Parts: sequence; structure tokens; C-alpha cells
Amino acid sequence: MAGLAELTFDSKLYGAEAIQKAAYRAMHAFTLDLTVDGESILCRLVGNITTGQDAFERAVEEFRKDVLDYQLRAQLQAETAPIRNLIMGLAFSNARLN
Amino acid sequence: MSKFQGPDAYTRQDGYELLPFKFDRLAGDDYVITNMIGEHLIVPMVDLLAVLKKDLVTDHPLYASLRAKHFIRHADEQAPLDLLALKLRTRLSRLTGFTSLHIFVVTLRCDHSCPYCQVSRQMDGETSFDMTPDMAEKALDFVFRSPNPAIKIEFQGGEPLLNFEMVRFVVEAAKRRNIVEKRDLEFVIATTLSLLTDEVLEFCHEHGIILSTSLDGPADLHNANRPRVGRDSFERFEAGLAKARNVLGVDSVSALMTTTDKSLSRVREIIDEYVRLGFNGIFLRALSPYGFAIKTRKFMTYDTERWLEFYKEGLAYILELNKAGIPFVEHYASLILKKMLTSNDPGYVDLMNPAGAGIAAIVFNYDGSVYASDESRMLAEMGDQSFRLGNVLTDSYEDIILSDTLLDALEQSFTLSAPMCSDCAFEPYCGAEPVFHHAIVNDVLGRKAESSFCNRNMSIFKHLIGLMQSDASIRRLFMEWANAC
Repeated sequence: MAGLAELTFDSKLYGAEAIQKAAYRAMHAFTLDLTVDGESILCRLVGNITTGQDAFERAVEEFRKDVLDYQLRAQLQAETAPIRNLIMGLAFSNARLN
Repeated sequence: MSKFQGPDAYTRQDGYELLPFKFDRLAGDDYVITNMIGEHLIVPMVDLLAVLKKDLVTDHPLYASLRAKHFIRHADEQAPLDLLALKLRTRLSRLTGFTSLHIFVVTLRCDHSCPYCQVSRQMDGETSFDMTPDMAEKALDFVFRSPNPAIKIEFQGGEPLLNFEMVRFVVEAAKRRNIVEKRDLEFVIATTLSLLTDEVLEFCHEHGIILSTSLDGPADLHNANRPRVGRDSFERFEAGLAKARNVLGVDSVSALMTTTDKSLSRVREIIDEYVRLGFNGIFLRALSPYGFAIKTRKFMTYDTERWLEFYKEGLAYILELNKAGIPFVEHYASLILKKMLTSNDPGYVDLMNPAGAGIAAIVFNYDGSVYASDESRMLAEMGDQSFRLGNVLTDSYEDIILSDTLLDALEQSFTLSAPMCSDCAFEPYCGAEPVFHHAIVNDVLGRKAESSFCNRNMSIFKHLIGLMQSDASIRRLFMEWANAC
């Protein structure tokens, strides 16, 4: 029988996109049903038919870490986007670096 | 009173800003962080969180490294932005050169019948699978439309020496054109060496042609992998190697190996054979999912995890040899290390983004068809024409280079906008590989979470970083590998 796990994240702390990205990374082990209930994001993780119970549990543990990682990545990307665009502009500008 | 202020006077009190970077978990609580051009540091999770919260104090051991590698800056500093931009421009400079490698498939005929062959070879008497002079001239028109000042023409097959007259024709015609074009022109023949003659070698010597050959390991393994009439592939290889080196020089002959199920338990023997024969490195390659490798199901005989064991064992053995004073490299690791430890891109087609298909390498098949890569024509031989860009006899350079077939594949597989890849700390080291993913899952992007290409490369990236972290002497060796000519 395929593994099953249910997790809840606080939407004030985590974005749905971070959770979706973490689930995408884990698609080799399970699929995600995502629902929002008030300020809670409910995740139902369903193991793939080919995923054994041990592998499923390890994948769920990785998923929890990945959600945090992707949330931090989103914050970092949002904060550094203007500088990234500036560097790209400098890199491809004939005026500065030719 | 001192003429000089103390160190405290130069310590910035105004905190720092974050520059763009990505991170990924390694073993335990360690993370790798990479900036826009692939410079990296290993940081514990607690320090990463402190960096992100801007809590890292100036006397923290990481602080100087983070500034030196452009992960953080003080708000009034312009130099980190200029340096990142300059390094990024350097890394991407190959794109302005456009196509360099032009592969001419002069014949599909071959004297070998390798079960893992990625090409659908033909019997060696079948001349209808040979390139004609008309096609070759049209292909050369195409070659010299490339703006690249460095043009490499590589002859492949089949066994290109079975149509050596066409090799001769193309080399002489290209050289005539180059009197006006003045490109840096280089020729390579990919050959098993089994049909090497004095006449061929004399021609190669006269025109500075390099030979790229195949060696799968000790004689019994090589002959088992590469059957031919007479069962003497290895003996012919060894004799041809000696003759070729004698005429062309040791550095003018390189070799590639392919890993079959028979190779998996013998990586040390394979490497020893390369050392014995005087090669300075080996390219430990997995089987590709094309051509006869699919038809004979050879591609399925081992999985990525087993190949990675083979690869890591081989790499460990090569490092042992290095520490014993034997200079020898693993070429795939060297390519990756050049990306990790320098600002240069080695231009290896499989590890390019945008993908190298068409814009770094292009293939002219024996029948005039143009393909986006060597793998693309292998797919075509299996009946899948997805990456056939046109034909030199009927289509213009613009028709082919601006075709939707090529541009869609490049755009849709672009890693900086691909799910998972765009957030991946290893993206600066990796490649798009649209043809591989198309071959496996019929989608140029593929699902990277399920991709053996992603799994294999992520594992190698992490392994190389782990080795450098664990042993300073390996880090020094890898610096040499990355900076070797």
C-alpha cells in the first residue's frame, strides 16, 4: 500500500509556491494534494505505487526540509532581484564591459 | 600618537547587503551556496541562516570569504557588481562565437558491430550510406556561415576511414576556403584505428588532423564490447595507436571509453590500461539512450546508482594514482571543476545552458540532413526526426538556424527558467540536455526530479565538492585539473 502523510503549514510563514516547489522536487516519491483552509495550508502526500514505506518516510522528511529551503530561497530571490537585474544589465551592456 | 589608525578604524559598522546566490543541502547540516557565476562556499545551516538574516558579524570566519566571492557587499561597494558582471560575461562569451563544432557523418558503414553503438551502423560494403561531394560542399557553405573564429570539423561514422576519400575531400576543400576565411581551423577524425593506414597517417600529419578513438579497457573487455570480424579490435587499436603516435605525436590521439555492464566491476583495470598505454586521462562515460544501445537494450543493463558507484570508485583510484605521483585526470570531473573553480566555461555540449544543440555543435549527416547534435542524428536513425533541422541541399543557413525546431528546444529547456533547475545551486555547473530528455520522456525539459541526467550530475557535483571539503590535498589536485590546458 502506498504511503500517506498529512502536514499543515501556517500560511503566515510559508507560501504555497514554496510548498509546490518542494513537492515537485519529491515527485519521484510522492504526489501532493494542496488545500488552503483559513491560514492553514493542508498537504496530503500520497506515495507513488513504486515507493516503499521507508523511502516514503525519508522523502517526507526531505520534503519538510525542502519547504523551509524554498521559503528562504523565495525571500532571498525577492530581496536580491533588483541587484541581479543590475548585474545582468552590466554584463550585457556594451558601455561598461566591452 | 601613531601615524596609522588601528584596524578598528577600518572595520565597517554599517552591515551588509545580500547579493544573488542559491543554496542546496549537502550531507548533514552543511549547505553549498553558489553565486551567479558558480563560485561556491560550504556553510553550516546555522551560518546560512545568519547570513540571510544579516546577523553575521564582521569577525566571523566566513565573513571575508563571503565578501571575496561576492555573496555579500556593503551598500556603497560597486566593485562586487562589476566583477560579477565581468565574470558572467566571460562565462557566457562562448555564445557570441556561435557554432564551433561541425560534425560530418561521412558514412554509416562500420567494420565493428558494437551492441551499445549509438549509431545505426551499416554493413561496410553499403556505399549508399556515404556522404557525396555535393553534400559536403553544401555543408562547408554552412560551416563557413558560422561567425565563430575557431571552427572544428569532426569526421564521424560509422567508421569514417571507410570513406576516407570524403575525409580528404572535405579537409582539402575547407582549407582552400580558409585561405580567404582565415579561421582557426581544426580537424578531428573519430576512428577505432582498426583501418588506419600509412596513407591516412601521412594525410593527417600533413594537415594537422587529430584522432579521437575508443578504448573500453583491457583487451578482453574491449573486444567483448567491440566485436568485429577477426575479434581483433583491441590488437588493431593498440597497433594503430603506436603508429599514430609515432607519426602525429602523443598528444594528437585521444580516447573515449563507454561503460557497459561488463565494465562495472573493472574500473581499476580500465584505468590501469589507459595509464599503461600512456594516456593522461580517461572519460568515464555512461551509456547513452540512443541507437543500438536502445535496440539491444544495453542502455537498460545498469541504473544510474550502479554507474555512480563505478564512477566514484574510478575517481578514488585516479586520486590514489595522483597522490602516488602519476599525473592522470578524469575528464568529466575536470570539465565540471573548471566550471566550479574558474570563470571559464569549457564548452562541453552536455553541460551547457542554453543547450549546445545547434549553437555549439551541429551535425551534417551522410544524406545531407542537418541535426542539432550527434545525439539528434542517433535519434533520427531510430526513426525520431524531432531534431532534424533541415537539409543542406534544400534549406538555407537561416532556415536551419532559425527553425522553430531548434529555437523551441533551446528556449523550452533553458535551465534558468526550468522548474527545479532555476532554484538549484548546481545550475551554474549543469546543462539543459533537451535531446536526452526528449529521448527518455518525450519532453525537452523533462521532470528533473525523475531525471537520471539530473540525478547523475547532482550526485557528481556533490561528490566533487565533498572530496574537496574533506581533503585539502584533493582540493589542490582538483585545482590543477581545473586549470590544465
